Amino acid sequence: MRSVFSNAILAAAQADPKVLLLTGDHGYALFDEFRKCLPAQFINAGIAEQNMVGVAAGLAKAGFKPIVYGLSAFVPVRVLEQIKMDVCYENLAVVFIGDGAGLVYSSLGSSHQSTEDIAVLRCIPNISILSPCDIYEMQYAMDQALRFESPVYVRMGKSDIGQVHQGPVSVPVGDLVPVRTGAQSEIVFLATGSMVKTAVTLAQTIDAAVWSVPGIKPVNTVQLNNIARHTKTLVTLEEHSIMGGLGSLVAEIVSETGDTRVIRMGVQDRFSQKCGSYDYLLEEHGINVAALLPQLSATLASD
Amino acid sequence: MTAFAPHRLRQTVLKMAYSGSTVHIGCAFSIIEIMSVLYRSHLRYPGDNPAAALRDYLVLSKGHGVMAQYACLYEKNWLTTADIENYFTDGSKLKGLSDAHVVGCEVTSGSLGHGLSVGVGMALAAKLNNSDQYCYAIVGDGEMNEGTMWEGILFAKQQMLDNLIVIVDENGFQAMGKTREVLGLGSLQDKFSAFGFDAIAVDGHDETALDNALAILKSSKNGNPKAIIARTVKGKGVSFMENENSWHYTRLSKDTFDLAMAELEQAV
Repeated sequence: MRSVFSNAILAAAQADPKVLLLTGDHGYALFDEFRKCLPAQFINAGIAEQNMVGVAAGLAKAGFKPIVYGLSAFVPVRVLEQIKMDVCYENLAVVFIGDGAGLVYSSLGSSHQSTEDIAVLRCIPNISILSPCDIYEMQYAMDQALRFESPVYVRMGKSDIGQVHQGPVSVPVGDLVPVRTGAQSEIVFLATGSMVKTAVTLAQTIDAAVWSVPGIKPVNTVQLNNIARHTKTLVTLEEHSIMGGLGSLVAEIVSETGDTRVIRMGVQDRFSQKCGSYDYLLEEHGINVAALLPQLSATLASD
Repeated sequence: MTAFAPHRLRQTVLKMAYSGSTVHIGCAFSIIEIMSVLYRSHLRYPGDNPAAALRDYLVLSKGHGVMAQYACLYEKNWLTTADIENYFTDGSKLKGLSDAHVVGCEVTSGSLGHGLSVGVGMALAAKLNNSDQYCYAIVGDGEMNEGTMWEGILFAKQQMLDNLIVIVDENGFQAMGKTREVLGLGSLQDKFSAFGFDAIAVDGHDETALDNALAILKSSKNGNPKAIIARTVKGKGVSFMENENSWHYTRLSKDTFDLAMAELEQAV
Protein backbone atom coordinates (compact mmCIF):
# COMPACT_ATOMS: atom_id res chain seq x y z
CA MET A 1 0.00 0.00 0.00
CA ARG A 2 2.81 2.40 0.84
CA SER A 3 4.64 1.50 -2.34
CA VAL A 4 1.46 2.20 -4.30
CA PHE A 5 1.46 5.57 -2.63
CA SER A 6 5.11 6.35 -3.30
CA ASN A 7 4.84 5.15 -6.90
CA ALA A 8 1.74 7.30 -7.42
CA ILE A 9 3.43 10.48 -6.26
CA LEU A 10 6.56 9.71 -8.25
CA ALA A 11 4.49 9.23 -11.40
CA ALA A 12 2.52 12.40 -10.72
CA ALA A 13 5.68 14.41 -10.12
CA GLN A 14 7.36 13.03 -13.22
CA ALA A 15 4.33 14.01 -15.28
CA ASP A 16 4.04 17.49 -13.79
CA PRO A 17 7.08 19.49 -12.60
CA LYS A 18 4.75 21.63 -10.49
CA VAL A 19 4.17 18.66 -8.18
CA LEU A 20 6.38 19.01 -5.10
CA LEU A 21 6.77 16.57 -2.24
CA LEU A 22 7.25 18.08 1.19
CA THR A 23 8.07 16.10 4.28
CA GLY A 24 8.88 17.03 7.84
CA ASP A 25 11.91 14.74 7.99
CA HIS A 26 9.73 11.64 7.82
CA GLY A 27 9.60 8.94 5.18
CA TYR A 28 13.07 7.45 5.36
CA ALA A 29 13.37 4.80 2.59
CA LEU A 30 9.81 5.51 1.42
CA PHE A 31 11.00 8.35 -0.80
CA ASP A 32 14.37 6.98 -1.91
CA GLU A 33 13.27 6.61 -5.51
CA PHE A 34 11.60 10.00 -5.56
CA ARG A 35 14.69 11.71 -4.16
CA LYS A 36 16.91 9.94 -6.66
CA CYS A 37 14.74 10.71 -9.68
CA LEU A 38 13.42 14.16 -8.78
CA PRO A 39 15.65 15.83 -6.20
CA ALA A 40 14.47 19.29 -7.23
CA GLN A 41 10.88 18.38 -6.45
CA PHE A 42 11.65 16.96 -3.03
CA ILE A 43 11.72 19.31 -0.05
CA ASN A 44 12.64 18.07 3.39
CA ALA A 45 11.31 20.96 5.47
CA GLY A 46 12.91 19.65 8.63
CA ILE A 47 11.21 18.87 11.89
CA ALA A 48 9.10 21.96 11.54
CA GLU A 49 5.70 20.78 10.39
CA GLN A 50 3.77 23.98 10.95
CA ASN A 51 6.11 26.00 8.77
CA MET A 52 5.99 23.21 6.19
CA VAL A 53 2.23 23.58 5.80
CA GLY A 54 2.48 27.37 5.57
CA VAL A 55 5.18 26.97 2.93
CA ALA A 56 2.96 24.50 1.06
CA ALA A 57 0.19 27.08 1.09
CA GLY A 58 2.53 29.71 -0.34
CA LEU A 59 3.72 27.30 -3.02
CA ALA A 60 0.12 26.43 -3.94
CA LYS A 61 -0.81 30.10 -4.15
CA ALA A 62 2.02 30.56 -6.63
CA GLY A 63 0.87 27.69 -8.83
CA PHE A 64 2.66 24.65 -7.46
CA LYS A 65 0.94 21.42 -6.44
CA PRO A 66 2.35 20.44 -3.05
CA ILE A 67 1.98 17.01 -1.52
CA VAL A 68 2.60 17.26 2.21
CA TYR A 69 3.60 14.02 3.87
CA GLY A 70 3.69 13.30 7.56
CA LEU A 71 2.64 10.87 10.20
CA SER A 72 -1.06 11.40 10.76
CA ALA A 73 -0.38 12.29 14.37
CA PHE A 74 1.41 15.38 13.05
CA VAL A 75 -0.21 15.97 9.66
CA PRO A 76 -3.04 16.91 10.17
CA VAL A 77 -3.26 17.02 13.95
CA ARG A 78 -0.24 19.10 14.90
CA VAL A 79 -0.69 21.46 11.96
CA LEU A 80 -4.44 21.78 12.16
CA GLU A 81 -4.53 25.57 12.34
CA GLN A 82 -2.21 25.93 9.36
CA ILE A 83 -4.46 23.57 7.41
CA LYS A 84 -7.50 25.57 8.42
CA MET A 85 -6.21 29.10 7.86
CA ASP A 86 -3.35 28.85 5.37
CA VAL A 87 -4.78 26.15 3.11
CA CYS A 88 -8.51 25.55 3.55
CA TYR A 89 -9.60 29.16 3.98
CA GLU A 90 -8.19 29.87 0.54
CA ASN A 91 -9.27 26.49 -0.82
CA LEU A 92 -5.78 25.70 -2.08
CA ALA A 93 -4.95 22.48 -3.90
CA VAL A 94 -2.67 20.87 -1.33
CA VAL A 95 -2.62 17.10 -0.82
CA PHE A 96 -1.97 15.96 2.73
CA ILE A 97 -0.84 12.40 3.40
CA GLY A 98 -1.19 11.14 6.96
CA ASP A 99 0.80 7.94 7.31
CA GLY A 100 0.52 5.42 10.11
CA ALA A 101 -3.03 6.44 10.97
CA GLY A 102 -4.77 4.73 13.83
CA LEU A 103 -2.75 2.44 16.06
CA VAL A 104 -0.01 1.54 13.56
CA TYR A 105 2.75 2.93 15.79
CA SER A 106 1.57 0.68 18.58
CA SER A 107 4.86 0.50 20.40
CA LEU A 108 5.65 4.22 20.23
CA GLY A 109 2.69 5.34 22.28
CA SER A 110 0.00 7.97 21.93
CA SER A 111 2.22 10.68 20.43
CA HIS A 112 2.48 8.61 17.27
CA GLN A 113 -1.00 7.14 17.25
CA SER A 114 -3.86 9.08 15.70
CA THR A 115 -7.45 8.25 16.38
CA GLU A 116 -8.69 11.81 16.09
CA ASP A 117 -7.43 12.97 12.68
CA ILE A 118 -10.71 12.45 10.81
CA ALA A 119 -12.68 14.10 13.59
CA VAL A 120 -10.62 17.28 13.67
CA LEU A 121 -10.59 17.69 9.88
CA ARG A 122 -14.19 16.86 9.07
CA CYS A 123 -15.56 20.16 10.32
CA ILE A 124 -13.06 22.31 8.41
CA PRO A 125 -14.66 23.62 5.21
CA ASN A 126 -13.23 22.83 1.77
CA ILE A 127 -11.07 19.84 2.69
CA SER A 128 -11.90 16.36 1.44
CA ILE A 129 -10.96 13.20 3.32
CA LEU A 130 -10.07 9.86 1.77
CA SER A 131 -9.44 6.72 3.80
CA PRO A 132 -8.33 3.80 1.61
CA CYS A 133 -8.43 0.21 2.82
CA ASP A 134 -6.03 -1.60 0.46
CA ILE A 135 -3.75 -1.08 -2.53
CA TYR A 136 -6.68 -0.70 -4.93
CA GLU A 137 -8.34 1.98 -2.86
CA MET A 138 -4.93 3.58 -2.28
CA GLN A 139 -4.40 3.88 -6.01
CA TYR A 140 -7.94 5.21 -6.36
CA ALA A 141 -7.37 7.71 -3.51
CA MET A 142 -4.12 9.02 -4.98
CA ASP A 143 -5.62 9.28 -8.47
CA GLN A 144 -8.50 11.27 -7.06
CA ALA A 145 -6.43 13.37 -4.65
CA LEU A 146 -4.01 14.53 -7.33
CA ARG A 147 -6.93 15.71 -9.45
CA PHE A 148 -8.52 17.79 -6.71
CA GLU A 149 -8.37 21.55 -7.08
CA SER A 150 -8.99 21.91 -3.37
CA PRO A 151 -7.38 20.53 -0.20
CA VAL A 152 -7.53 16.81 0.40
CA TYR A 153 -6.34 14.53 3.18
CA VAL A 154 -5.45 10.93 2.46
CA ARG A 155 -5.46 8.80 5.58
CA MET A 156 -3.00 5.95 5.26
CA GLY A 157 -3.44 3.38 8.00
CA LYS A 158 -2.19 -0.18 8.52
CA SER A 159 -0.90 -1.06 5.10
CA ASP A 160 0.28 -4.67 5.13
CA ILE A 161 -2.83 -6.64 5.98
CA GLY A 162 -3.70 -7.76 2.46
CA GLN A 163 -6.31 -6.75 -0.06
CA VAL A 164 -10.02 -6.23 0.32
CA HIS A 165 -10.93 -5.77 -3.32
CA GLN A 166 -10.10 -8.09 -6.20
CA GLY A 167 -9.14 -5.33 -8.58
CA PRO A 168 -9.06 -1.59 -9.23
CA VAL A 169 -11.71 0.55 -7.61
CA SER A 170 -13.46 3.02 -9.87
CA VAL A 171 -16.34 4.89 -8.29
CA PRO A 172 -17.21 8.58 -8.11
CA VAL A 173 -15.65 10.43 -5.18
CA GLY A 174 -17.73 9.94 -2.08
CA ASP A 175 -19.35 6.70 -3.15
CA LEU A 176 -19.34 3.69 -0.89
CA VAL A 177 -17.79 0.60 -2.44
CA PRO A 178 -19.58 -2.75 -2.14
CA VAL A 179 -17.30 -5.40 -0.63
CA ARG A 180 -19.64 -8.19 0.32
CA THR A 181 -23.31 -8.94 -0.14
CA GLY A 182 -25.27 -10.64 2.62
CA ALA A 183 -28.22 -12.97 2.78
CA GLN A 184 -29.69 -11.25 5.78
CA SER A 185 -30.74 -7.61 5.80
CA GLU A 186 -30.92 -6.95 9.55
CA ILE A 187 -27.36 -5.69 9.74
CA VAL A 188 -25.09 -3.94 7.25
CA PHE A 189 -21.46 -3.15 7.96
CA LEU A 190 -19.87 0.13 6.91
CA ALA A 191 -16.13 0.25 7.46
CA THR A 192 -13.15 2.33 6.47
CA GLY A 193 -9.41 1.84 6.15
CA SER A 194 -7.85 -1.07 7.97
CA MET A 195 -11.15 -2.13 9.53
CA VAL A 196 -12.80 -3.14 6.27
CA LYS A 197 -11.10 -6.53 6.46
CA THR A 198 -12.25 -6.91 10.04
CA ALA A 199 -15.78 -6.04 8.97
CA VAL A 200 -15.68 -8.74 6.31
CA THR A 201 -14.61 -11.35 8.88
CA LEU A 202 -17.41 -10.31 11.23
CA ALA A 203 -19.96 -10.18 8.43
CA GLN A 204 -19.13 -13.69 7.32
CA THR A 205 -20.31 -15.05 10.68
CA ILE A 206 -23.83 -13.73 10.10
CA ASP A 207 -23.80 -13.44 6.31
CA ALA A 208 -24.21 -9.67 6.28
CA ALA A 209 -23.26 -7.10 3.65
CA VAL A 210 -20.15 -4.93 3.89
CA TRP A 211 -19.45 -1.59 2.28
CA SER A 212 -16.12 0.16 2.29
CA VAL A 213 -16.14 3.92 2.80
CA PRO A 214 -13.01 5.33 1.16
CA GLY A 215 -14.59 8.76 0.85
CA ILE A 216 -15.26 10.18 4.29
CA LYS A 217 -15.81 13.68 2.95
CA PRO A 218 -17.58 14.29 0.74
CA VAL A 219 -19.72 11.20 1.10
CA ASN A 220 -22.61 10.18 -1.11
CA THR A 221 -25.47 10.79 1.31
CA VAL A 222 -28.10 9.55 -1.14
CA GLN A 223 -26.35 6.22 -1.43
CA LEU A 224 -25.79 6.06 2.32
CA ASN A 225 -29.42 6.79 3.10
CA ASN A 226 -30.49 4.21 0.57
CA ILE A 227 -28.36 1.56 2.28
CA ALA A 228 -29.77 2.64 5.64
CA ARG A 229 -33.36 2.36 4.43
CA HIS A 230 -32.89 -1.29 3.57
CA THR A 231 -31.58 -2.46 6.92
CA LYS A 232 -32.42 -2.17 10.60
CA THR A 233 -28.91 -1.68 11.93
CA LEU A 234 -25.80 -0.14 10.48
CA VAL A 235 -22.58 -1.18 12.19
CA THR A 236 -19.65 1.15 11.56
CA LEU A 237 -16.05 0.07 12.04
CA GLU A 238 -13.01 2.29 12.08
CA GLU A 239 -9.53 2.44 13.55
CA HIS A 240 -10.37 5.88 14.85
CA SER A 241 -12.33 7.31 17.73
CA ILE A 242 -16.04 6.55 17.63
CA MET A 243 -16.43 10.27 18.17
CA GLY A 244 -16.15 12.35 15.03
CA GLY A 245 -15.16 9.67 12.55
CA LEU A 246 -17.06 7.33 10.28
CA GLY A 247 -19.51 6.30 12.99
CA SER A 248 -20.41 9.88 13.75
CA LEU A 249 -20.65 10.69 10.07
CA VAL A 250 -23.08 7.85 9.42
CA ALA A 251 -25.14 8.63 12.53
CA GLU A 252 -25.40 12.30 11.62
CA ILE A 253 -26.64 11.53 8.14
CA VAL A 254 -29.05 8.66 8.66
CA SER A 255 -30.57 10.12 11.83
CA GLU A 256 -31.96 12.95 9.74
CA THR A 257 -33.84 10.73 7.36
CA GLY A 258 -34.90 7.53 9.08
CA ASP A 259 -34.85 5.36 12.16
CA THR A 260 -32.03 3.00 11.29
CA ARG A 261 -29.95 2.16 14.32
CA VAL A 262 -26.24 2.97 14.11
CA ILE A 263 -23.78 0.96 16.20
CA ARG A 264 -20.34 2.58 16.25
CA MET A 265 -17.40 0.23 16.64
CA GLY A 266 -14.00 1.81 16.98
CA VAL A 267 -11.65 3.34 19.49
CA GLN A 268 -13.45 4.46 22.64
CA ASP A 269 -12.72 7.73 24.45
CA ARG A 270 -9.39 6.61 25.81
CA PHE A 271 -5.67 6.63 25.09
CA SER A 272 -3.67 3.43 24.63
CA GLN A 273 -2.47 2.25 28.00
CA LYS A 274 0.24 -0.27 27.17
CA CYS A 275 3.04 -0.90 24.75
CA GLY A 276 2.85 -3.80 22.36
CA SER A 277 2.34 -5.05 18.83
CA TYR A 278 -0.31 -3.69 16.50
CA ASP A 279 -2.44 -6.76 17.16
CA TYR A 280 -2.00 -6.27 20.89
CA LEU A 281 -3.21 -2.67 20.62
CA LEU A 282 -6.26 -3.70 18.61
CA GLU A 283 -7.05 -6.14 21.41
CA GLU A 284 -6.46 -3.52 24.09
CA HIS A 285 -8.92 -1.23 22.37
CA GLY A 286 -11.38 -4.04 21.76
CA ILE A 287 -11.37 -3.69 18.00
CA ASN A 288 -10.01 -7.05 16.88
CA VAL A 289 -12.31 -9.79 15.66
CA ALA A 290 -12.20 -11.66 18.96
CA ALA A 291 -13.36 -8.62 20.90
CA LEU A 292 -15.87 -7.44 18.35
CA LEU A 293 -17.73 -10.74 17.93
CA PRO A 294 -19.28 -10.60 21.41
CA GLN A 295 -20.19 -6.95 20.78
CA LEU A 296 -21.88 -8.02 17.58
CA SER A 297 -23.77 -10.81 19.38
CA ALA A 298 -24.94 -8.36 22.02
CA THR A 299 -26.09 -6.01 19.29
CA LEU A 300 -28.06 -8.80 17.63
CA ALA A 301 -29.57 -9.89 20.94
CA SER A 302 -30.76 -6.41 21.73
CA ASP A 303 -32.32 -5.98 18.33
CA MET B 1 0.61 65.08 -4.02
CA THR B 2 3.10 62.61 -2.61
CA ALA B 3 1.98 59.07 -3.26
CA PHE B 4 1.29 57.11 -0.11
CA ALA B 5 2.03 60.13 2.10
CA PRO B 6 2.21 58.85 5.67
CA HIS B 7 -0.02 61.51 7.20
CA ARG B 8 -2.73 60.78 4.67
CA LEU B 9 -2.47 57.03 5.26
CA ARG B 10 -2.82 57.66 8.98
CA GLN B 11 -5.87 59.82 8.37
CA THR B 12 -7.43 57.03 6.35
CA VAL B 13 -6.72 54.65 9.21
CA LEU B 14 -8.39 57.05 11.63
CA LYS B 15 -11.44 57.38 9.39
CA MET B 16 -11.79 53.63 9.19
CA ALA B 17 -11.23 53.14 12.89
CA TYR B 18 -13.70 55.85 13.78
CA SER B 19 -16.43 54.79 11.36
CA GLY B 20 -16.01 51.14 12.31
CA SER B 21 -15.40 51.83 16.00
CA THR B 22 -12.44 49.47 15.81
CA VAL B 23 -9.20 48.84 17.66
CA HIS B 24 -5.56 48.22 16.63
CA ILE B 25 -4.89 51.86 15.68
CA GLY B 26 -1.46 51.95 17.34
CA CYS B 27 -0.54 48.68 15.61
CA ALA B 28 -1.33 50.18 12.20
CA PHE B 29 0.43 53.48 12.89
CA SER B 30 3.78 51.87 13.62
CA ILE B 31 4.00 50.36 10.11
CA ILE B 32 2.74 53.34 8.08
CA GLU B 33 6.14 54.43 6.75
CA ILE B 34 7.11 50.84 6.00
CA MET B 35 3.94 50.41 3.96
CA SER B 36 4.42 53.78 2.35
CA VAL B 37 7.93 53.03 1.13
CA LEU B 38 7.04 49.55 -0.07
CA TYR B 39 3.99 50.64 -2.05
CA ARG B 40 5.62 53.79 -3.40
CA SER B 41 8.99 52.43 -4.49
CA HIS B 42 9.33 48.66 -4.26
CA LEU B 43 6.23 46.57 -4.82
CA ARG B 44 5.81 45.68 -8.50
CA TYR B 45 2.36 44.87 -9.81
CA PRO B 46 2.57 44.24 -13.57
CA GLY B 47 -0.34 45.97 -15.29
CA ASP B 48 -1.20 47.48 -11.90
CA ASN B 49 -2.95 44.20 -11.28
CA PRO B 50 -2.96 43.05 -7.65
CA ALA B 51 -3.32 39.45 -8.82
CA ALA B 52 -0.67 39.58 -11.56
CA ALA B 53 1.19 36.28 -11.67
CA LEU B 54 4.60 37.94 -11.52
CA ARG B 55 3.80 40.50 -8.81
CA ASP B 56 5.94 40.99 -5.76
CA TYR B 57 4.32 39.63 -2.64
CA LEU B 58 3.56 41.72 0.41
CA VAL B 59 2.71 39.51 3.33
CA LEU B 60 1.25 41.25 6.35
CA SER B 61 1.99 38.62 8.93
CA LYS B 62 1.06 40.93 11.80
CA GLY B 63 -2.48 41.03 10.48
CA HIS B 64 -3.77 43.37 13.17
CA GLY B 65 -1.96 46.23 11.43
CA VAL B 66 -4.19 45.73 8.41
CA MET B 67 -5.73 49.22 8.40
CA ALA B 68 -2.33 50.54 7.30
CA GLN B 69 -2.51 48.22 4.30
CA TYR B 70 -6.13 49.09 3.58
CA ALA B 71 -5.07 52.74 3.44
CA CYS B 72 -2.51 51.83 0.76
CA LEU B 73 -4.95 49.65 -1.15
CA TYR B 74 -7.34 52.61 -1.12
CA GLU B 75 -4.65 54.80 -2.67
CA LYS B 76 -4.08 52.09 -5.28
CA ASN B 77 -7.81 52.35 -6.06
CA TRP B 78 -8.17 48.67 -5.22
CA LEU B 79 -10.51 49.67 -2.41
CA THR B 80 -13.30 52.22 -2.73
CA THR B 81 -14.32 55.15 -0.56
CA ALA B 82 -17.38 53.09 0.37
CA ASP B 83 -15.08 50.31 1.63
CA ILE B 84 -13.35 52.81 3.89
CA GLU B 85 -16.49 54.57 5.08
CA ASN B 86 -18.43 51.38 5.69
CA TYR B 87 -15.70 49.61 7.62
CA PHE B 88 -17.15 46.96 9.94
CA THR B 89 -20.72 47.50 8.78
CA ASP B 90 -22.88 44.39 8.44
CA GLY B 91 -22.11 42.54 5.24
CA SER B 92 -18.93 44.51 4.47
CA LYS B 93 -15.81 42.78 3.19
CA LEU B 94 -12.93 44.31 5.14
CA LYS B 95 -12.25 42.60 8.43
CA GLY B 96 -10.17 43.64 11.39
CA LEU B 97 -7.32 41.34 10.43
CA SER B 98 -5.46 40.68 7.18
CA ASP B 99 -7.55 38.43 4.95
CA ALA B 100 -6.44 36.81 1.71
CA HIS B 101 -9.93 37.09 0.29
CA VAL B 102 -9.33 40.85 -0.02
CA VAL B 103 -7.72 41.84 -3.31
CA GLY B 104 -4.17 42.96 -2.56
CA CYS B 105 -3.85 41.00 0.68
CA GLU B 106 -1.72 37.89 0.28
CA VAL B 107 -2.32 36.06 3.53
CA THR B 108 -4.92 35.59 6.19
CA SER B 109 -3.37 36.59 9.45
CA GLY B 110 -4.71 37.23 12.89
CA SER B 111 -3.46 33.98 14.20
CA LEU B 112 0.14 35.10 14.49
CA GLY B 113 3.07 33.17 13.10
CA HIS B 114 1.30 32.08 9.91
CA GLY B 115 2.02 34.75 7.33
CA LEU B 116 5.78 34.45 7.33
CA SER B 117 5.66 30.74 6.45
CA VAL B 118 3.22 31.36 3.60
CA GLY B 119 5.46 34.17 2.40
CA VAL B 120 8.47 31.89 2.58
CA GLY B 121 6.54 29.45 0.39
CA MET B 122 5.84 32.18 -2.15
CA ALA B 123 9.46 33.28 -2.12
CA LEU B 124 10.48 29.66 -2.69
CA ALA B 125 8.00 29.41 -5.55
CA ALA B 126 9.59 32.45 -7.19
CA LYS B 127 13.02 30.84 -6.83
CA LEU B 128 11.82 27.55 -8.28
CA ASN B 129 10.35 29.49 -11.20
CA ASN B 130 13.60 31.44 -11.71
CA SER B 131 11.53 34.58 -11.29
CA ASP B 132 12.90 37.84 -9.89
CA GLN B 133 9.88 38.38 -7.63
CA TYR B 134 10.43 39.52 -4.07
CA CYS B 135 8.45 38.62 -1.03
CA TYR B 136 8.24 41.27 1.68
CA ALA B 137 6.93 40.04 5.01
CA ILE B 138 5.96 42.55 7.66
CA VAL B 139 6.00 40.87 11.04
CA GLY B 140 5.49 42.15 14.55
CA ASP B 141 8.10 41.99 17.27
CA GLY B 142 5.47 40.45 19.53
CA GLU B 143 4.79 37.97 16.76
CA MET B 144 8.40 36.81 17.07
CA ASN B 145 7.22 35.01 20.23
CA GLU B 146 5.70 32.39 17.94
CA GLY B 147 7.82 29.30 17.34
CA THR B 148 6.69 29.05 13.74
CA MET B 149 8.50 32.30 12.98
CA TRP B 150 11.79 30.64 13.80
CA GLU B 151 10.86 27.57 11.80
CA GLY B 152 10.25 29.83 8.81
CA ILE B 153 13.51 31.69 9.37
CA LEU B 154 15.53 28.47 9.49
CA PHE B 155 13.81 27.19 6.37
CA ALA B 156 14.32 30.45 4.44
CA LYS B 157 18.04 30.28 5.11
CA GLN B 158 18.23 26.60 4.21
CA GLN B 159 16.53 27.31 0.88
CA MET B 160 18.74 30.40 0.29
CA LEU B 161 15.78 32.70 -0.23
CA ASP B 162 17.56 36.00 -0.83
CA ASN B 163 14.32 37.24 -2.38
CA LEU B 164 12.68 37.20 1.05
CA ILE B 165 12.79 40.45 3.00
CA VAL B 166 11.40 40.24 6.51
CA ILE B 167 10.59 43.61 8.03
CA VAL B 168 10.14 43.50 11.78
CA ASP B 169 7.94 46.21 13.19
CA GLU B 170 9.91 46.57 16.39
CA ASN B 171 7.61 48.88 18.31
CA GLY B 172 8.55 47.30 21.62
CA PHE B 173 5.02 46.46 22.64
CA GLN B 174 2.66 43.57 22.38
CA ALA B 175 -0.93 43.29 23.46
CA MET B 176 -0.45 43.28 27.20
CA GLY B 177 2.75 45.15 27.72
CA LYS B 178 6.31 45.83 26.68
CA THR B 179 7.77 43.04 24.59
CA ARG B 180 10.88 42.83 26.75
CA GLU B 181 8.72 42.38 29.85
CA VAL B 182 6.43 39.75 28.33
CA LEU B 183 8.78 37.48 26.39
CA GLY B 184 11.98 39.34 25.74
CA LEU B 185 13.60 38.99 22.34
CA GLY B 186 16.97 40.60 22.94
CA SER B 187 18.62 41.93 19.81
CA LEU B 188 16.59 40.88 16.81
CA GLN B 189 19.35 42.06 14.49
CA ASP B 190 21.76 39.72 16.25
CA LYS B 191 19.26 36.90 16.16
CA PHE B 192 18.50 37.27 12.46
CA SER B 193 22.21 37.52 11.73
CA ALA B 194 22.87 34.40 13.76
CA PHE B 195 20.22 32.60 11.70
CA GLY B 196 22.08 33.54 8.52
CA PHE B 197 20.10 36.57 7.40
CA ASP B 198 21.56 39.84 6.19
CA ALA B 199 20.03 42.09 8.82
CA ILE B 200 19.92 45.87 9.04
CA ALA B 201 18.37 47.96 11.81
CA VAL B 202 16.86 51.33 10.89
CA ASP B 203 14.47 53.99 12.15
CA GLY B 204 11.20 52.54 10.90
CA HIS B 205 9.65 55.97 10.45
CA ASP B 206 12.50 57.37 8.34
CA GLU B 207 11.37 56.76 4.78
CA THR B 208 14.77 57.47 3.28
CA ALA B 209 16.49 55.10 5.70
CA LEU B 210 13.94 52.38 4.95
CA ASP B 211 14.31 52.93 1.23
CA ASN B 212 18.11 52.77 1.46
CA ALA B 213 18.03 49.63 3.60
CA LEU B 214 15.77 47.92 1.09
CA ALA B 215 18.04 48.96 -1.77
CA ILE B 216 21.16 47.70 0.00
CA LEU B 217 19.60 44.36 0.87
CA LYS B 218 18.16 43.83 -2.60
CA SER B 219 21.53 44.52 -4.19
CA SER B 220 23.00 41.56 -2.38
CA LYS B 221 22.17 38.35 -4.26
CA ASN B 222 24.17 36.13 -1.95
CA GLY B 223 21.66 33.48 -0.99
CA ASN B 224 21.01 35.00 2.40
CA PRO B 225 17.46 35.98 3.27
CA LYS B 226 17.10 39.59 4.39
CA ALA B 227 15.77 41.29 7.48
CA ILE B 228 15.13 44.89 8.38
CA ILE B 229 14.64 45.55 12.05
CA ALA B 230 12.49 48.65 11.86
CA ARG B 231 12.59 50.50 15.16
CA THR B 232 9.17 52.01 15.39
CA VAL B 233 6.83 53.75 17.77
CA LYS B 234 3.49 52.18 18.47
CA GLY B 235 0.84 54.80 17.75
CA LYS B 236 3.34 56.91 15.78
CA GLY B 237 2.03 60.21 14.42
CA VAL B 238 -0.49 61.20 17.06
CA SER B 239 1.02 62.52 20.27
CA PHE B 240 -1.43 60.97 22.71
CA MET B 241 -1.19 57.56 21.04
CA GLU B 242 2.60 57.29 20.78
CA ASN B 243 4.03 54.58 23.03
CA GLU B 244 0.66 54.44 24.74
CA ASN B 245 -0.16 50.75 24.52
CA SER B 246 -3.81 51.28 25.37
CA TRP B 247 -4.25 52.28 21.70
CA HIS B 248 -3.88 48.62 20.87
CA TYR B 249 -7.43 48.32 22.16
CA THR B 250 -8.90 51.83 22.57
CA ARG B 251 -11.69 53.02 20.28
CA LEU B 252 -11.92 56.58 19.04
CA SER B 253 -14.47 59.03 20.39
CA LYS B 254 -15.58 62.09 18.43
CA ASP B 255 -13.13 64.16 20.46
CA THR B 256 -10.11 61.91 20.07
CA PHE B 257 -10.86 61.42 16.38
CA ASP B 258 -11.03 65.18 15.75
CA LEU B 259 -7.92 65.81 17.81
CA ALA B 260 -5.91 63.12 16.04
CA MET B 261 -7.02 64.22 12.56
CA ALA B 262 -6.08 67.82 13.36
CA GLU B 263 -2.66 66.82 14.68
CA LEU B 264 -1.90 64.91 11.49
CA GLU B 265 -3.03 67.87 9.39
CA GLN B 266 -0.80 70.28 11.30
CA ALA B 267 2.22 68.01 11.01
CA VAL B 268 2.24 68.24 7.22
